[in-house]
Amino acid sequence: MACENCNCSNMYNENIFMPKEAVIVRAEMATATEKHFTLKWADDSPNYFEPGQFVEASLFGYGEIPIGFASSPTRTKTFDLIIRVVGRVSGALHKLDKGDTMLLRGPLGKGFPMDKLRGQNILVVAGGIGLCPTRSLIQYIMDRREEFKQFNLFYGARSADEQLFLDDLANWRKSDDVNYHETVDRTSENWRGNVGVITTLFQKTPISQDTRVIICGPPIMYKFVLIELDKLGIPHENVYVDLERRMKCGIGKCGHCQINDKYVCTDGPVFQYSQIEKLEEAF
Amino acid sequence: MNAYFIKDTDFTQFLGKMIEAHKVVGPKAKKTRFVFDQIKKPEDLRLDYDVTILPPKKLFFPPRQELVRFHGQKASSCIHPEGTILFGVHFYDIKAIDMTDQLFRETNPDWNYLANRECSTIIGSNIQNVYKRAFFSSVGKGVEPKGHDGFITKISGGYVYDAITAKGKNLLKFGAFTDATEAQLTEASKANKEVLDKCPEKLNNESLEISEKVRNQFKSPMWKEFSEKCFSCGSCNLVCPTCYCFDVQDNWNVDQQTGVRERTWDGCLLEDFSTCSLTGGHKENFRETRASRYRHRIMRKTSYLTAKLGGPACVGCGRCAGACTADIADPVPVINRLMEV
Repeated sequence: MACENCNCSNMYNENIFMPKEAVIVRAEMATATEKHFTLKWADDSPNYFEPGQFVEASLFGYGEIPIGFASSPTRTKTFDLIIRVVGRVSGALHKLDKGDTMLLRGPLGKGFPMDKLRGQNILVVAGGIGLCPTRSLIQYIMDRREEFKQFNLFYGARSADEQLFLDDLANWRKSDDVNYHETVDRTSENWRGNVGVITTLFQKTPISQDTRVIICGPPIMYKFVLIELDKLGIPHENVYVDLERRMKCGIGKCGHCQINDKYVCTDGPVFQYSQIEKLEEAF
Repeated sequence: MNAYFIKDTDFTQFLGKMIEAHKVVGPKAKKTRFVFDQIKKPEDLRLDYDVTILPPKKLFFPPRQELVRFHGQKASSCIHPEGTILFGVHFYDIKAIDMTDQLFRETNPDWNYLANRECSTIIGSNIQNVYKRAFFSSVGKGVEPKGHDGFITKISGGYVYDAITAKGKNLLKFGAFTDATEAQLTEASKANKEVLDKCPEKLNNESLEISEKVRNQFKSPMWKEFSEKCFSCGSCNLVCPTCYCFDVQDNWNVDQQTGVRERTWDGCLLEDFSTCSLTGGHKENFRETRASRYRHRIMRKTSYLTAKLGGPACVGCGRCAGACTADIADPVPVINRLMEV
């Protein structure tokens, strides 16, 4: 039966699950498990995401996975996604190469609150693959350096082999624009830097109490970094955490990513710490 | 005046004509219980049902729903709703549909659900028999059922029909309706009021009180006790009219070239619902214990959505209580006990 009672027909094409095509302009293995893709939208539309937002990346027949933007929208021509091989979807995406098409749905979620970060001292604490989504913010700050005050960046990886963005790291080590500190959990033959968990970096440099702090890393890391921030007396309103949960829809419906009453995909993935610290399921 | 009356003797003919012109889904007997299914003969419609096994949400949000069809990496949308008249919905299910309407519409409107919803006509009916686990009269009392197009109430000699919207009025043409008399209206409203006294189960507190107090009991040791016998089967989720969680999966057709991205019902009581896969086969389950999953469902119903929905996300149908193998899903004794602490 045709629908005679309503005017919904013009809405049928608004399918929120319909992905958009992006073309891979560069693809290379970043570590043994992470592949670095540089993409552009197939229809040449400009970048229109905010640092900290994410996409649902997919190939038809395999499924979708949430991946944070790993580059800043200030770099307008292309954008980066880092995909760690974990299961079926990421395994299929890893087979893609330069010239291939990836399907993306997004940008999704709430990113870093740039209006609250501008004009401030910034500390980014990134652990492991947590450097990927925060790189969208790091690049943004580096590209608009004059809009921010002191910029500290802490990066911890399990070992030197698992470090990401080696070119970036080399630049940051030399750069006057960022006060960069790094550490690895396990040392190796040619590693000359710090060894120890990421919180040991807090002894390397003074962090002023008015700093805005961004944390992204494995679940276990948050607790310990937050203890350090409390020692420094940094108010919880000035701390932002970028959280990871299981996600399916990315649009605040399917329920998988809920932390108590919040949806990580639409209320986050970036949260002001003071707004979720009372949520029992957050950390 | 939007209230009409139709005689018992004319009712069958009305149903017949409506069925001839439209796809009608309504309560139907299935062995000893009832289901919402397509009504093909007037005598199949069982307005005397107590509760259906599954709520009518399955019409708008089917257990398996195609979202996108693909051919290679090319996609086509598959939002093609079929206009349906959903006839004979109890008021608690009307409230639940209104909630899922709001939840699928907010922030990112999901037309895979909303198109089905907008193409349907919903006609409520009064509760003639009360389900043995129902508690609809003591939950969300301030929440009015809305979003339906008409409501029919059995009275002596026939039915009073309240035609609420234009869609509801459209059905008048199928039957010999007359204007309802004052006496008939009084009888109908009495029937709808009196049934509220017949619920076998009852929450002892108001929904707002429950919302706050249960939320504050997050760390209570009772959750472990309540959930001790839970099989993590998710039956309580599947039969719930306000549960709408889903999984999204891609499936190839046999030709291995075409396929569908589809969603299927999922449930927060299932063990892997919140599990993230990490490298090296590691996993992180954000609600690892049965108690944490059990608590999440109760919190979702009593507290988490209250601000958004203006009331609890539970309508008191009692389906979860009836569906639970271990009989631990019933929110009534759980909430009543938490409120006594």
